[in-house]
Amino acid sequence: MNVLAQADVSSEGRLITVVLFTVMIAVTLLITVWASRRVNSASDFHSGGRGFSGIQNGFAIGSDYMSAASFLGIAGTIALFGYDGFLYSIGFLVAWLVALLLVAELLRNSGRYTMADVLSYRMRQRPVRTAASVSTLTVSIFYLLAQMVGAGALIALLLGIQPGETYLGMSADTAKIAGIVVVGILMIVYVTFGGMTGTTWVQIIKAGMLMGGAALLTIMVLAVYNFNFAALMNDAAEASGVGAAFLEPGQVYGREVAGDAWQTMVNKLDLISLGLALVLGTAGLPHILIRFYTVPDAKTARKSVNWGIGLIGTFYLMTLVLGFGAAAMVGRDAITAQNAAGNTAAPQLAEEVGAHFGGDLLAAVMLALIAAVAFAAILSTVAGLTIASSSSLAHDFYNNVLRRGQASERDEIRVAKMAAFGVGTIAIVLAVFAQNLNVAFLVALAFAIAASANLPTILLSLFWKRFNTTGALAGIYGGLLAAVGLVFFSPVVSGKTDADGNSLSLFPAGVDFAWFPLENPALASVPIGLLCAVVGTLASRETDPARFAELQVRALTGAGAEGAANH
Amino acid sequence: MTTQPTTTEAGEPPEPDLKARSVVMHTDPRFLELRARLLRFVVPATIAFLCWYLLYVVMSAFARDVMSTQLVGPLNLALLFGLLQFVSTFGIAVAYARYANRRLDPLADDLRTELENGEAR
Repeated sequence: MNVLAQADVSSEGRLITVVLFTVMIAVTLLITVWASRRVNSASDFHSGGRGFSGIQNGFAIGSDYMSAASFLGIAGTIALFGYDGFLYSIGFLVAWLVALLLVAELLRNSGRYTMADVLSYRMRQRPVRTAASVSTLTVSIFYLLAQMVGAGALIALLLGIQPGETYLGMSADTAKIAGIVVVGILMIVYVTFGGMTGTTWVQIIKAGMLMGGAALLTIMVLAVYNFNFAALMNDAAEASGVGAAFLEPGQVYGREVAGDAWQTMVNKLDLISLGLALVLGTAGLPHILIRFYTVPDAKTARKSVNWGIGLIGTFYLMTLVLGFGAAAMVGRDAITAQNAAGNTAAPQLAEEVGAHFGGDLLAAVMLALIAAVAFAAILSTVAGLTIASSSSLAHDFYNNVLRRGQASERDEIRVAKMAAFGVGTIAIVLAVFAQNLNVAFLVALAFAIAASANLPTILLSLFWKRFNTTGALAGIYGGLLAAVGLVFFSPVVSGKTDADGNSLSLFPAGVDFAWFPLENPALASVPIGLLCAVVGTLASRETDPARFAELQVRALTGAGAEGAANH
Repeated sequence: MTTQPTTTEAGEPPEPDLKARSVVMHTDPRFLELRARLLRFVVPATIAFLCWYLLYVVMSAFARDVMSTQLVGPLNLALLFGLLQFVSTFGIAVAYARYANRRLDPLADDLRTELENGEAR
């Protein structure tokens, strides 16, 4: 069945892809223009006026979360390695229960625009807001960098540009850079002009496209197998070359190394560490947290998280079908010939099922459709990260730290727009320089920081009466430094080589200063962050029981919470 | 008494009265009941799903023999366990929404109205 290698993407197919990309860009820019007229207050810019419904925000939550990297990456991992891709996706889903039960509603009631609003509520404002802003920017920029480097490569792949060939005057390498720059400029435009209102609508549309595209493809794959999922699984296992092991854990995560009990143990602990980072990190990601402010009240925040859980869970179940479908119908060799990490598995599958049902034309249409979905996914996730960074810089650092809360709304919006422009520009430049580095680890690192620095301090703020400024600072900086430091001294940064001596780390082969064995730091950095927060708290005598009482009453009842803006 | 239950203008902190009333409310038996109801659901549910998820991950790492047990056709225990994580996540989410609608929202609404309107008890 593997007749269609992507190398012969027909020029008509590519034209359809380019047209769809252009339509996507045009539609999102129209939304941005429309939204820009509605962004008048700081609340509009940072929180979209807090007027979104539960369903709308649920779609936007799903959109922020289901990046192109997770759509193409998880489908690809399942296609190449089977079960472990599925195992990976489950951590991302279960994590939403932490957000639902412990964070979403309480944060919605007690904060206004940023994570720092809650953290600093009962503390000394300036140091805590600075710390929260540092953490927000670190997490968001790491995540953004990983997304943008991935975006460049993905756009070259989606346009089907092979090394050595050119399209529209671009080689694969220039297409990569052009991809990064175009994505970067678009995200700056969305955020600067549309604020949270425009960004949220872009995200809602993307989530609709992603769910629709994935559902269509899933149904087509299942239809090829007469809706017999067992037959699909058997075919996938057989085509994988590893047989039944394809349907079991252990192909990627926690890999057993024959004759090396130490490395085997390290790999297995690494899997558990990754699971911990995913499950505890989600509810500490700043771009996710600020989504809870876009709805009118806590009850709607809860509804939106439940919509998000439904969409994200359904999506990962569909990804399982897509991954198995790509393994069975496209085949491992055809996938790795395109992209060693399997990122093209889903588009290749779309082409294959299209050809199955409607020949070359449908193959080209399906490929272009899935490529456009992936493109939309890239655009909306990076926009969410940019607005999280710019809101924190403007609201926390500029207004509350530098201006001690005295800045006017106009000033705050102006600074937020400048910040979006600055963060976006820095991200473009860094991504262009990092485009050939292996930066995929930055996503796991962002989750680990969120789990170690943000989530513990948010929960202690809401529930531990004794918690204070010193504790919050120690918790944020301690968790942040532990996560970043341990990764710096881990094999992802230096010292890891393949059998031929080529570097698998960030640094080239020969450089080796790694002493921390795990690639995912959460197993150590979450306890360290928590411990820092507790020790820091006990080391200081500061307490403010009245402010704690006020915060807790506000968080649980919603009294005094910011309502929706009236438009 | 004002009839302004909604929030203050963006940019202004909640009025001082509300702060004072909130501090008093913190030891009100009705508030303590609200907090207890929240924690009564949230704490056991969180412990349960975290343990359930960690069990799944730990078994995926260390109990591969068990996980590879074939059940029906190509379905093995590892896949079933993974699918059950979806079921438990959806289940807890729905159960919490129902619980919150029934046991948390009415009480929280009462207390909020009272706090914002400044009614004396």
